Amino acid sequence: MKTKQPVVFEIGWNACIKCGACVAVCPQEAGFTTPFDTIAVNTPCDIACMFCEAVCPVSTITHTLLNTALSSKS
Amino acid sequence: MPDTTGTAKMEEYDIVVIGSGPAGATTAWYAAKNGLRVLLTDKKQELGAPVQCSGAVSHNALEQAGVLPAAEFIHEAIYGFAIYNATGEKKVIDYRNIKPDEYGSGEGCKPLGYVVDRRRFDRYLTTQAERAGTTIWLKTEAMGYRVLDNGSCEVDFRKFNEAVTVNAKVVVGADGVQSQVGKWAGIKTHIKLSELASCLQFVVDGVATDGLLEIVTGHKWAPGGYAWVFPKGYGYAEIGLGITKTMCTANAQDYLDHFLKNSFFKERFKNCRIIEIQGGGVPLAAPLKTQYADNLILVGDAARHVNSITGGGIHTALGSGKIAGEFLAALIKSGKPATAENLKGYHDNWLKAMGNNMWKLYNVKRKIFDTADVVQRDEQLYATMSNYFSPESEYKKI
Repeated sequence: MKTKQPVVFEIGWNACIKCGACVAVCPQEAGFTTPFDTIAVNTPCDIACMFCEAVCPVSTITHTLLNTALSSKS
Repeated sequence: MPDTTGTAKMEEYDIVVIGSGPAGATTAWYAAKNGLRVLLTDKKQELGAPVQCSGAVSHNALEQAGVLPAAEFIHEAIYGFAIYNATGEKKVIDYRNIKPDEYGSGEGCKPLGYVVDRRRFDRYLTTQAERAGTTIWLKTEAMGYRVLDNGSCEVDFRKFNEAVTVNAKVVVGADGVQSQVGKWAGIKTHIKLSELASCLQFVVDGVATDGLLEIVTGHKWAPGGYAWVFPKGYGYAEIGLGITKTMCTANAQDYLDHFLKNSFFKERFKNCRIIEIQGGGVPLAAPLKTQYADNLILVGDAARHVNSITGGGIHTALGSGKIAGEFLAALIKSGKPATAENLKGYHDNWLKAMGNNMWKLYNVKRKIFDTADVVQRDEQLYATMSNYFSPESEYKKI
């Protein structure tokens, strides 16, 4: 799914195999990562290309639109 | 004893290598062996883990890098290949039959290659670097670097939660397919979705193998890649595949499940038991056009030094690591500054030794996967893989 609205990614850690594929295709600047070789979670992504979700071998990356995430927090 | 005076001097090295996989450890090893002060860092606590690689490497690759095949890291010796098309038709290239005087398990013969245990292999290479004088820091995450006016640079780390900065002449980014180091210098290291193979493999018990790397081509099994069955030693095997996500909708896990249950190997696989699950992203991309910047170079997967046809990256990592280590030793001993202009020499040496061939392989791969007709594409991939591993292959040393 492609969306140009900013999103926040979530990772289902139970299925994540820490393969680094999501980081490898990520066009964000350096540091948009977690210590577990994945793309950043709980951080808005304004590029929203969704390549990380697409490449994940176990489909364990999902996202929430930033606006939705903010309104649910408030 | 911890420094309590607040006057601790910043540590200085000739080179700092970030990432202790095969490329980084080999760079550190050859740089230290040639007299440089080397710091090798890795954010992990256990090298080579989690395993993101099948571990296949040729005897020739180890020999060229000066690595003696050792029981410490070898799972199983390999003597050839079996390449399958989508329907199960196969071409066997068994060097025990093609060159019986040279390849085999008998006296005076050698294996064609090996499947290595990446945890032990990476540790072995790091040990070679350490024994050559390299300082090793684990649980040390690289955070960024700054080029200084005096021609050196500072590299920031987080080491066991402490902020540490070291001074170096050159930073070597060997931080793998998910490299961040290149991005520090403005090098675009991210890989197109159409050029990254999404890979998953199971280490299994209960599947017999015979010293061959078995490769299954065909869009129906692994679109934009291939499936494999590799011997893993002690009765284990690896069953895996890599797919290109722009050529399909399902994920690698779905395709692997499909391959296990429905392929022409389904009877062979029906009693297999999964012991480990491993995965990785394999760049089937062109090597980076620029692999250097001021005070910085990239090696291995970080520079996309991967064979685009096979997806193999150990040989190319060892090769580029050796080239980088030797080049940096010569440059730094010469007293020349580590400017981008001077570090270009590393890239030039790499192109001459292996890079130009890797570009050729990339163009072959691209031509195959740019073919829109699935039947034609399958035929081209099967023919290319079959030729690639034959004794006449012009690429067999890559």
